[in-house]
Amino acid sequence: MAAALLAGALVMTGCARDTGAAGGGGSAGGEACATGTAPSGGAAAAPTSAAATKPDASSLKVGVAYDIGGRGDQSFNDSAYAGIEKAVADFGLAEANVKELTAAPNEPEDAAATRLRQLAADGYNPIIAVGFKYATPLAKVAAELPNTQFAIVDDNSIDLPNVTSLVFAEEQGSFLVGVAAALKSKACHIGFVGGVDVPLIQKFEAGYTQGAKAVAPNIKIESKYITPAGDFTGFQDPQKGNVVATGELDAGADVIYHAAGASGAGVFSAVKAKSTPDSPKYAIGVDSDQYLTADPAVRDVIITSMLKRVDVAVYDFIGAVASNNLGALPKIFDLKVDGVGYSTTGGQVDDIVAQLDAYKNAIINGSITVQSTK
Amino acid sequence: MTAPATSRPVPAARARRLPGWATSMLVVLVGLVVLSITATLTGQLQLTSAGTAQAAVQLLLPILFAGLGGLWAERAGVINLGLEGMMILGTWGAAWAGYQWGPWAALAAGAVFGALGGLLHAVATVTFGVNHIVSGVAITLLGAGVTKYLSTLLFLPVSANPRQSPPLRGFDSFSITPLTDVLDALVRANLVFVTDVAGILQGLLTGLTPTVLLGALAVPVTYLLLWRTAFGLRLRSCGENPVAAESLGVSVYMYKYIAVIVSGGLAGLGGAALVLNPGQLGYLEGQTGGRGYIGLAAMIFGNWRPGGLLAGSALFGYVDALQLRAGGDAVHALLYAGTILAVLVAVLWFAQRYWLAAVWALVAGLVVYLVYFFVDTIPSQFAAFAPQIVTLLVLAVASQRLRPPAADGLEYRRGEGD
Repeated sequence: MAAALLAGALVMTGCARDTGAAGGGGSAGGEACATGTAPSGGAAAAPTSAAATKPDASSLKVGVAYDIGGRGDQSFNDSAYAGIEKAVADFGLAEANVKELTAAPNEPEDAAATRLRQLAADGYNPIIAVGFKYATPLAKVAAELPNTQFAIVDDNSIDLPNVTSLVFAEEQGSFLVGVAAALKSKACHIGFVGGVDVPLIQKFEAGYTQGAKAVAPNIKIESKYITPAGDFTGFQDPQKGNVVATGELDAGADVIYHAAGASGAGVFSAVKAKSTPDSPKYAIGVDSDQYLTADPAVRDVIITSMLKRVDVAVYDFIGAVASNNLGALPKIFDLKVDGVGYSTTGGQVDDIVAQLDAYKNAIINGSITVQSTK
Repeated sequence: MTAPATSRPVPAARARRLPGWATSMLVVLVGLVVLSITATLTGQLQLTSAGTAQAAVQLLLPILFAGLGGLWAERAGVINLGLEGMMILGTWGAAWAGYQWGPWAALAAGAVFGALGGLLHAVATVTFGVNHIVSGVAITLLGAGVTKYLSTLLFLPVSANPRQSPPLRGFDSFSITPLTDVLDALVRANLVFVTDVAGILQGLLTGLTPTVLLGALAVPVTYLLLWRTAFGLRLRSCGENPVAAESLGVSVYMYKYIAVIVSGGLAGLGGAALVLNPGQLGYLEGQTGGRGYIGLAAMIFGNWRPGGLLAGSALFGYVDALQLRAGGDAVHALLYAGTILAVLVAVLWFAQRYWLAAVWALVAGLVVYLVYFFVDTIPSQFAAFAPQIVTLLVLAVASQRLRPPAADGLEYRRGEGD
């Protein structure tokens, strides 16, 4: 048996294979990317910030129900808190009048509803629920308490007069970092690493792909999710994030964007490990400015981050409640209101800011429409 | 290409059986040939690339340590479902010691924290006779809870995050340079089989860390200790027939304690390997993601033997690396490899005159080939679970020959044999 196999192996050893080098070099050639021209948009539309007269929130009692993780997660929940802090500074909201409660992992759905009811019973109004996991309990509680104002981040399924949805145009911010990736890619080959294959994360991928293709229609894009829908470990498995990103880099991609939560740390370390002075590799962060929060050892490969400004949404919501003008809140926090955007910390996209802003203006004035699905 | 292998049937009923190590080498060789043929004919070069092999090593390490932990406990007759919890304790301990005193301290502390979990399991199951499953599940829950509490207490002030430790310094990785250079040249020579084997070897010999070496050492050391020493014989006798062991003067309680504590220590090392892996150097809540349970499955896969356990975790790590790196297309190519394997197995069984089994193997091979032929790529939802599916399939084929220790999971009281 062994001899026969060996003989077979030896026979095959003779034939050279024609399926290309095993290293996987990707499409070589420096400026191979056929770059389209950036749109010559109109004047930069200044984002409409808070109204001229500052709302007075000194009489408000604001309740916040955080998602799992709570404050200190350097992401979502912290961003919501930053919005509260800004409201305290700007609107005269008293810090003693802010009450925060945090969700526990794997808690029953009742617990979330109880938390919201408890805040309402203590007289907090408005109440902000952070995260789409509050959607079902909030729909129930808000119907019971029509005189309390609620807001929910990342969900727009509740159609009640006292519930405000704070949702974001993630695809628009992702479009811009897709533009940045295509402009920065030397191999005309980029990658995307998603945490879990759910519609919310697919929005990031869709925008990214469209942005890259707007710059270079022939660009190659590697796209991979760490886990399929239902298995949420994909958001907290840096080891697998590292393997997926290394696979995309080995396939030839040289700029990688992640929307994978805590697994993103593995993406950054993979990019850092493969980056050499001769062929630099880049990573793009998500949600917050990850140049500021990631491990200092990998910061130099993070060229930009897609910003999702939960803080802006929370701040604007409190302002709108204080001035009793909820109708003025945007339906979606998009580029126009600075609800999403990109970061420039580290200075690695300074040379392409003009092009990025041209695309940004084109999206704002409607000459480019970004789809939220592939 | 399989012609040489198929044209000469193996003579049946051989007088002398091949020794175990030779059979293993043969299996590895057959696997390499099949992968090489598949990579060549399907063009899926990721099947045998150095990157895949390296990723497989990283992914299999925590599973291997956890599986070895399970092996030690179950060989002494204690089922250890608490491996996951001991692994979580290990990740926390490794991160806590690692960010202060470096990677060696991380390894040591990971083992110590895991061993503490093992000690608790031993006290519950050996001394107090608690049901092994109940104690194991409780320790898994406890591990998650204790580390959450400790992280809030000790990591929050330094990392400003109750779910994460500050980043630690890892081991410097090294490669066996003269050898990998030769292998690199062979990979670039782009020859069938040579390039495939060289690619895999190159992946195994680059980016080595002390953690990888420790894992490679732990398998033979476990084998020698448990199967080649008097200590090991006594320990295993506690898992096969504790009453008989007791009648021969073996202190069954002591051996069970030792086995379960070592088991916890090994699971803790698995946690440390996860913390020290190049993905993210540090503790992150929930980062074990069920690897302890997969280690337990790898142990059953390996028939409660260290070599088989290594094969089980390697298979799991390899398929996981493949699907994470190359996705549905590479898993699709595995179907092709499966067809070749089924044909080989059928030929082997025909030669041994297991007619019915051989026909079934051929039918299975045909079905797999038809799927390969009519499907372009494996949907990502299935591809993600390819490691579990492959493991299940191999288990289904091999399960008739699995034999757990006879007294595994049974309660034992001193003097009950009187």
